[in-house]
Amino acid sequence: MTNTKFLPGVVTMLFTCMAVAAAFAESFPYEAAGLTERRAAAHLLDRFAYGPRPGDIDQVVEMGLEAWLAAQLSGAVDDSSFEKLAAGLDSRSMKLEEMLETFPPPAQVFREAQRAGVISRDSGLPGKGGDNDAERREVRRSLMGYFQEKGYRPQRELIAQMTAHKVFQAVVSEHQLEAVLTDFWFNHFNVSLTDNQSRPFVAAYERDAIAPGVLGSFHDMLVETAAHPAMLTYLDNFQSTANEGVRTTLEAGAPFGPPRGRRRARMRADRPQRARPQGLNENYARELLELHTLGVDGGYSQEDVVEVARAFSGWGVVPFGPQAADAQRQIARVRSVGADLGFVVRESFIFRADVHDAETKTVLGHDLEAGRGIDDGLEVLDILASHPSTAAHVARKLAVRFVSDEPPQGVIDRLAATYLESGGQIAELIRTLAYSPEFWAQDARGQKIKSPFELAVSAVRALGASVVDPADLIDWVSRMGQPLYTYQAPTGYPDRALSWVNTGSLLTRMNFGLGLATGRVMGVELDLAALNDDREPESLSEALEVYAGLLLPERELTSTLEQLYPVIHDPKIGECVAEAAPEEGSAPPRARGRYGQLRPPEDFPMLAGRRRREALRELASSTPPSPLANVVGVILGSPEFQRR
Amino acid sequence: MINRRSFLKAGGLSVVSLGSMAGGPAFLTRAAFAAPEPAGGRRKVLVSIFQRGAMDGLMAVPPLEEERLLRKYRPRLSMPGARSGGDERAIDLGNGFGLHPGFGSLRPLWSDGRLAIVHQVGSPDPTRSHFDAQDYMESGTPGRKGTATGWLNRVSGLLGHEASPFRSVAMTPALPRAFYGDHPAVALERLEDFQVRLPGALGASSVVGQGFEALYAEASQDLLRDTGGDTFDAVKLLAELDLDTYQPVLGAQYPRSPLGESLRQVAQLVKADVGLELAFTETGGWDTHVQQGTTNGTFSRRVEDLSRSISAFWTDLGQHRSNVVVTTMTEFGRTVRENGAAGTDHGHGSCLFVLGDEVAGGRVHGSFESLDEDALYQGRDLPVTTDFRSVFAQLAHTHLGVGDTDSIFPGWQGRPTKSLFRRT
Repeated sequence: MTNTKFLPGVVTMLFTCMAVAAAFAESFPYEAAGLTERRAAAHLLDRFAYGPRPGDIDQVVEMGLEAWLAAQLSGAVDDSSFEKLAAGLDSRSMKLEEMLETFPPPAQVFREAQRAGVISRDSGLPGKGGDNDAERREVRRSLMGYFQEKGYRPQRELIAQMTAHKVFQAVVSEHQLEAVLTDFWFNHFNVSLTDNQSRPFVAAYERDAIAPGVLGSFHDMLVETAAHPAMLTYLDNFQSTANEGVRTTLEAGAPFGPPRGRRRARMRADRPQRARPQGLNENYARELLELHTLGVDGGYSQEDVVEVARAFSGWGVVPFGPQAADAQRQIARVRSVGADLGFVVRESFIFRADVHDAETKTVLGHDLEAGRGIDDGLEVLDILASHPSTAAHVARKLAVRFVSDEPPQGVIDRLAATYLESGGQIAELIRTLAYSPEFWAQDARGQKIKSPFELAVSAVRALGASVVDPADLIDWVSRMGQPLYTYQAPTGYPDRALSWVNTGSLLTRMNFGLGLATGRVMGVELDLAALNDDREPESLSEALEVYAGLLLPERELTSTLEQLYPVIHDPKIGECVAEAAPEEGSAPPRARGRYGQLRPPEDFPMLAGRRRREALRELASSTPPSPLANVVGVILGSPEFQRR
Repeated sequence: MINRRSFLKAGGLSVVSLGSMAGGPAFLTRAAFAAPEPAGGRRKVLVSIFQRGAMDGLMAVPPLEEERLLRKYRPRLSMPGARSGGDERAIDLGNGFGLHPGFGSLRPLWSDGRLAIVHQVGSPDPTRSHFDAQDYMESGTPGRKGTATGWLNRVSGLLGHEASPFRSVAMTPALPRAFYGDHPAVALERLEDFQVRLPGALGASSVVGQGFEALYAEASQDLLRDTGGDTFDAVKLLAELDLDTYQPVLGAQYPRSPLGESLRQVAQLVKADVGLELAFTETGGWDTHVQQGTTNGTFSRRVEDLSRSISAFWTDLGQHRSNVVVTTMTEFGRTVRENGAAGTDHGHGSCLFVLGDEVAGGRVHGSFESLDEDALYQGRDLPVTTDFRSVFAQLAHTHLGVGDTDSIFPGWQGRPTKSLFRRT
C-alpha cells in the first residue's frame, strides 16, 4: 500500500463530529411548523430512528431534541445492550479472509469434497435438479461430514448472521441514526446476494465499506465501495482489463494472467468456466456515474463512461478458495522483486498493474496523464466526489429518504450547498436536514410509507418487544416485498411509497400486524399487558384508545379510532375468539435458536422458507389470540401505522 | 394507480355477487361480466416460464442431421437418432430436428401446429454468469445492469387499458427482476396466502378483513386508500374461487412439482377472469455440469417436469387457450462439447418454446448454423442467431398488442421475429 489517500478518512470524521456537536445551540424549526416539542420528538424518531419505543419520546424531550441528534451524530451513546447481542454473531469479528475460509461457497466445498473422494464425481449439487431423494440425502450426509471435518460452516449461516445483525441493530441499538444511515447507504451503493460471485463478500461489504463511514465523508465511502470485492464482482469490474494492444502499467510479466495449459484444461473439466478477461467492462463505470455519483442527468457522456472504465481497469479481487495459495505465491513473487511494481494489495482487493490501461485519459474534462496505476481510479473518485452534480444527486436522495417522496427544491438546494461547503460530510448533511423547515412541515410529517423493514422493526420497537431469533421476522419482511440484501438491480430499492404499496404487499402488512400482535411471529417475545403497566383495559374501546396511543404516540388519531371501533366491536370476532378459547396452560409458540447453529450445507432457501411457513401455518391454528392481541394487531395493520 | 379501482368497481365486484348466485361453473358466468376489455378483443395472457440454470438447447432440440458431429462432440450425451429403433431416441420432428423424448407430452401440440421452437436464441452479451445473463434477460437490456425496470413491467405500462391488481402475477417467493418497476405486480407462492388471516381464529378473519377494508377506505393518503380498496376487492375475487376444491378439467394432470403447482394456480387465475395478463413462473435445476444424462437422468427429469407441467396447463385451460400464450426462456445455452463429468458447461445460444393457438407452431424458427467447429461461438458454443428480444418483442406485439418496441427494449435496433405467429 503506497497511497496514503487510500485509507479511510478517520481523522476528518472525528473532526467533523466534534464540530457538529458544538454547533447545536439553536433549536430546530419545528415550532414554526406548529409542532409541540413532543410531536417534534416523535417525528425525529420516525425519521432518524426506526420509530419510538415506549418511553423514547420522554427521553428525547428530556435530553433536548438538539442534544439527542448531536449525540447521534457524535456516536456518544451507550450501546452496551446491542453490543452484547452482536457479540454472539462471531462472523462480525472475522477478517474477510477468515470469513471466506470459514464460510466457503457451497459449490467450492462440493468440488473440494469431490476431489477428496468424499463424494462421487458423478454427484450433482444437492438442491440442483435433485429429484432422486435417497441419492441427494446421501450426498448431503457426506457433505455434512466433510464440513465438520474441515471446520467449515455453511455460507447461509454467514448470511443469517448479517441479517440478524441488521435486525438487532435496528431494533436494539441506541445508535439509531447509524442504523438508519447504514440501510440508506447500502441501498445507495447496492450489491446483492443474488449474485453468486458477490455473495461471499456482502457481509464484509456492509461492515467494512459502508457502516464505518455513514457519518463520515461521502468521498471516503465512495473509495471503500469502489475497492471492495463485493462491488468489484457485482458490477464486474474485477474482469475489466485494458483492451488488447494497450500499454499497461506493468508491461512485462503477467502474474495473474488467465491459467494456461494443463491448469486451464483442469478448470474446464471441473467447473463452470469463468468469462475470461475480454478487455474493458463498463458496468461499474456506468453505474458509478449514473447511480453512485453524478446521477443520470449529471452531465456525462458515453465517452466519459469508457474513460472511467479505463481508469478502473485492473481493480480486482484476490482469488480465494482453491486458487488462494497460488495467488498468494504470485503476490509474494511480485513483492520479492523489491518494489511493488505498481501492484496494490489490501485484504482481498488487488490493483493489477499488469492489466491496467496506462495511457492518457480524459474524464469530465480532466486529463489523466499516462503511465499511472491505481491513482487513475482514485483521481476519478476525487473528481466525482467534488462534482456539483454529485452534490445535487446525493442531496436529492437524502431529501427523498428523510423529507418526502417529492421533496421541495428548496431543501435539495440547501443540502447540495452544504455538501459542497463541507466537502461531502454526511453528518453536516443530516444537520442541515434537521434545521430545514421542510423537514418539519405539515406535508412531510407522516408522509413517508414505511418500507417493510421499517414497518417490522418499528412495530417490534413500539411494542417494546425483544427479538430472540430474527429468522421469522426477516421472512415476513421478504414477503412484504423487501427481501434483505437481495435487490438484484444496482439502483437499490426505490425509495417511494408506490413501490412498497401494492395489493399483495399491503395484505401481507396487515397479516404481519395481526401475526406479530398475536405472538405468531416466531422469535419475537412480547408482553402486551406490560406495555400498559399491567393495567387491564376495562373494555375493548378503552383497549383500543390506550394501545393506539401507546403504539402511535403523538399522532392525530381521532379518525383512526373512529374507524377502528366498529371493527373491534363486531360480535363475530368475540364469538370466534370464544369458540377457540385457549386451553389452560397452553403456551404461545417459542422460538428456537436458528441463526448461528449448524444447518445442512445445502443452498435451498426457497424450500426452507416454504417448509417453515407450513410449520407456522399449523401453529397458527393451534392457539387462539386474546381479544387484546386482536386489537393491537388491527392497530399495527392500520393505515396510520404504515406511515412515518 | 389512477382509476385502478374503477376497473374492479365495474367488473370484479359485480362478479362476486353474481358468481355466488349462478349455477354451473362460476367462471362461465364471470366471463360475461368480465372487466372492461382491451380494444379489439379479450384480455390476453402471456405466461413466461424462466428455466433458471441454462438449459442445454442442443439436447432439448438436437439437429438430427448433424448426428455424426453430435456424437463426436458429446460421446456420452448424444441420443440415438430417430432412424435407429427403440424408445431411447429423440422424437423425430420431421424437419431435421429431434425433440428430447422427455417432451413427449408436448408432441401433440407440435403436431397440431401450436408449439413452436426458436433455436439458437439468446443474448448478444457474451457473459457466462447465470446472474448477469438472467439479469439481462429480465431487464431486457443486455450489457446494462443499471436498468431500473424489468421488460415485463414496461410491457405492463404499455398495455393501454385498465389494470387489475392481478395484471402481473409472479408465482415466486420474491418479485422477479422482470417485474421490477412502477407498475404494480404481485409475487405469491400460493393463492391461499391472499387473504386476511387472524391466527387461531380463522372464522373471524373475514370480519377483521372487512374491518381493515373500512379502515383503508377512509385512509387519508390516496395511495393507501386506493391500494387498500384494490386489495380487498382482489381478496374477494379470490375468495370466490374455492381454492381448496379446485379441480383441473379435461383430465389435466399437473406434476406435483413446484412448476406444476405454479401453473395450476396460473390456470385458476386465467379461468377466474381476474384480469391476469402477465404471469411469471420459474423452474430450476438446468445447470447440468455433472452427469447430465440423455434419455434418463437429471436433464431428462427436468424436461419431463417442464413438458408435463405445460401440457397439463394447456389442457386445463380449456376454452381459455385462445387467449393464452406460453413462452419459455433460459439465460444461455451450454457447451457443445461434453465435459469431463459427463455434463455440459456454460455456453451461449439455446432454444425456447412458444405455445399458443395463433403461434406458427410445428416449426423451428430462427436460423440454425451448422455444428462445424468454425460456426461455433468462440469455438465451443451454439451461436446466437436470434436475439431473445426479437421473440419477446413479437410476443408483446402480436399477442398483447404492444408494438412500442423502443420502449420495451430501449436501445435495441433489432427486428421482432415475425414468423412466430400465423398472423402479425
